[in-house]
Amino acid sequence: MSDYAVSLKVNGETKKASVRADDTLLRLLRRLDHLDVKASCEAGDCGACAVLLNGEAVNSCLVFAAQADGAEVVTVRGIGTEDALHPIQRQMVEKGGLQCGFCTPGIVVAAKALLDENPAPTLDEIRRGLAGNLCRCTGYQKIFEAVAAAAEEMRK
Amino acid sequence: MEFLRARTIEEALSAAAAPEAGFVSGGTNIVPDLLFGRKRLERVVDISGIRELRFIEEKGGAIRIGALATVTDLLNSDVIKSAAAPLYLCARDFAGPLIRNRATVAGNLMDASPAADLAPPLMAQDGELDLISAAGERTLPLSEFFLDYRKTAVRPGELIRAVSIRPLEAADRSAYYKLQLRRAMAISVVSVALALRMEGETCAEARIGMGAVAAVPYRAVAAERLLQGKRPGDADIEAAAATARESANPIDDIRASAAYRSQMCEVLVRRLLREALGMPKGETVSA
Repeated sequence: MSDYAVSLKVNGETKKASVRADDTLLRLLRRLDHLDVKASCEAGDCGACAVLLNGEAVNSCLVFAAQADGAEVVTVRGIGTEDALHPIQRQMVEKGGLQCGFCTPGIVVAAKALLDENPAPTLDEIRRGLAGNLCRCTGYQKIFEAVAAAAEEMRK
Repeated sequence: MEFLRARTIEEALSAAAAPEAGFVSGGTNIVPDLLFGRKRLERVVDISGIRELRFIEEKGGAIRIGALATVTDLLNSDVIKSAAAPLYLCARDFAGPLIRNRATVAGNLMDASPAADLAPPLMAQDGELDLISAAGERTLPLSEFFLDYRKTAVRPGELIRAVSIRPLEAADRSAYYKLQLRRAMAISVVSVALALRMEGETCAEARIGMGAVAAVPYRAVAAERLLQGKRPGDADIEAAAATARESANPIDDIRASAAYRSQMCEVLVRRLLREALGMPKGETVSA
């Protein structure tokens, strides 16, 4: 299988890589040490691999790496850092929106996309906005509370 | 497998003129199908960058939806919301936002699942495909597109350019329901979309699209005929619902039994006709 040269921006940094035709963006990002993007179902069912691709939240497991040539990708690490947490990240901690933490990067990315588009979502809108992200620990309630609290904080 | 990126329709068609070639855009079906070995391609042609295939426009009495319009695009479109209500409601129930941002209208049709969510609402508004290939262009009614389980009338190397539907007018009535086991990310158990073209109180034309109850999505034509040219009353609705049930040929699977699906064809067609026509609910089920 031949290789393809791709160049993309990840969290503002230009990355160049060689990919195979059947490589996904998810696998490329993890090869580039973006282990903050989680590999789980790799079939678009769980949302753990969510990233912002040219500003839109997508499952990176459903995008061929070669399709992302020239794209801008934001992972959870590009949304906030340990020293400067984004309100969504801080509220996930505050409200107990995570337990094992595996789904959290995808949840934060999906929540970021939701709040970018709708700064004051209702509970139903939050639920719909996170409908593609599975969490097997929390029962979701505290995640919804965290997103609502982050939205409120961001509106101030 | 090799990967080619097409920037124009012409590039896409010439790249696809090879054995075992296929198109990818959103990838929500084809990427996992290829990764998990359910499908094999020698050449994958990426058409996601072809801007001229991504649009929604109202023109010449039709709504034209570009092949690469995403489900999110449908939700953000005023013309879909106002003149294609069943399609709008379907888009709301479609998977989740991460999928809706990538999944395209043409991709949902080409995947040719019996449960392809967009097929029943597009059929309810006389969906017609605009196809293009190196050999030329043709149009094909969506009702003739699905040939058999996961088999379509699209020829090798042929590309869907757009889907046209007939806009609903103010007097027209419509309804949509997806019966699903959870409120998102679900493959439908049964889905029904209907549109009634009204002339006064008379139903001039009826269209009923059915999903997940046969090898392919289809129109319940015999049921439609029982409504056309009438002022549909209780008896007509009961007859159409029973006929829709007769038209179905569902299977047992992990989501529901065939018997349940059959029964729900009748229930949903009755319920949606009554809802569309502003009649009170009537929930009797014939044994």
